[in-house]
Amino acid sequence: MKTQILAFILSIAVCFGARAELKFDKTEIELHPKPDDKQAVGHFTYQNTGKTPVKFKSVKASCGCTAAQTQKDEVPAGEKGEVTATFNIGDRTGTQVKTVTVETDDPANPHTVLTLRTIIPQLLEVSPTFVFWKQGEKADPKAITVKVGKEFTVKHIKVTSSAPDYQTKVEETGKGEFKIDVQPKDTNTANGTTLTIQSEDSPKVFYATARVTGAPPAPMVPAPAGQPAPVPPADQKAPVAKTAPTGQTH
Amino acid sequence: MKLSLTRQALVLAALSLFPAMGEAIYFRGKISWRSPIPPSEMVSVDQARALGGNVIWVDARPDEEFARDHVPGALSLNEDRWNELLPQFLAAWSPGKKVVVYCSAESCDLAREAAERLRKEAQVPDVFVLEGGWEAWLKKNR
Repeated sequence: MKTQILAFILSIAVCFGARAELKFDKTEIELHPKPDDKQAVGHFTYQNTGKTPVKFKSVKASCGCTAAQTQKDEVPAGEKGEVTATFNIGDRTGTQVKTVTVETDDPANPHTVLTLRTIIPQLLEVSPTFVFWKQGEKADPKAITVKVGKEFTVKHIKVTSSAPDYQTKVEETGKGEFKIDVQPKDTNTANGTTLTIQSEDSPKVFYATARVTGAPPAPMVPAPAGQPAPVPPADQKAPVAKTAPTGQTH
Repeated sequence: MKLSLTRQALVLAALSLFPAMGEAIYFRGKISWRSPIPPSEMVSVDQARALGGNVIWVDARPDEEFARDHVPGALSLNEDRWNELLPQFLAAWSPGKKVVVYCSAESCDLAREAAERLRKEAQVPDVFVLEGGWEAWLKKNR
């Protein structure tokens, strides 16, 4: 019995000693891009600490917004390298966690998950980003709050409406907060405006939308069984206001 | 003989615990779990269909995938061009409409993230994520 166990342990030890092993220095990286950065790049460095070469079979990112690349297809024993993960920030906000799965021919460790945590700084936080009035509703002003991010100082913001049918009024409420009052001239017709919000010393633009919405839809009628439901017209485009913008600075 | 085999099995099982414990300690806190979507925020293809014309389909996949194919009438709204695409969606929305967001498959996160932004940032009510995503829709409709 003892001999059998000893033989088993020895065989495991021999296997471990001879195997290839791609060892990553870190499997999770946290990135802090600047407010205007378009991309965030993480470098996952590794070393083949085994005695045989390791081949990469695939490197896949969890999302189309992240591109992952290896420098080489095969890593000889003892060599170092890195997997580069490039995250396209786009219009994303907050903390973004994306993963890259590395598949190798190392039988002991065929899959490694690399995690890229990107903390996107938010200069201004606009809430809500959408206000609306139902057609025929009283055209009272509606408030949008703009909070300045903790690590930033903003003294003034500029708000521009794409349509002259909407008026905006900016008020500083203190503690790094602003209040934007938006008001349509009337609510007789369905229309909308895009509000562009900018701080005085940053090119970064933030948006909010104000709309007078059409009449509520008619009561629901379930689609007949086996037939696809009717859907809105294909690829609707929002009416774009081409009127001169009205702006207000605070 | 039977006793010996049982003993060996127990010893092997006990031995396997050590590397497992080591791995659990080494990787603690390194696994990023996705927060599950509450069932009340999910709809199946059949449930979405039953909403009839009262639904706006939102495709949260990247532009290339949307261009290749999408649910008829769906609006593209992805986080690569969120600020540019959101006004199109809001122009189609009106109070009382339900919104069904989808991405490629069950495993993708894009629909969940887009739905969350619509609810929290734009404060649009009745936003649901399609169970199984585009793959599920294709299975039922093609």
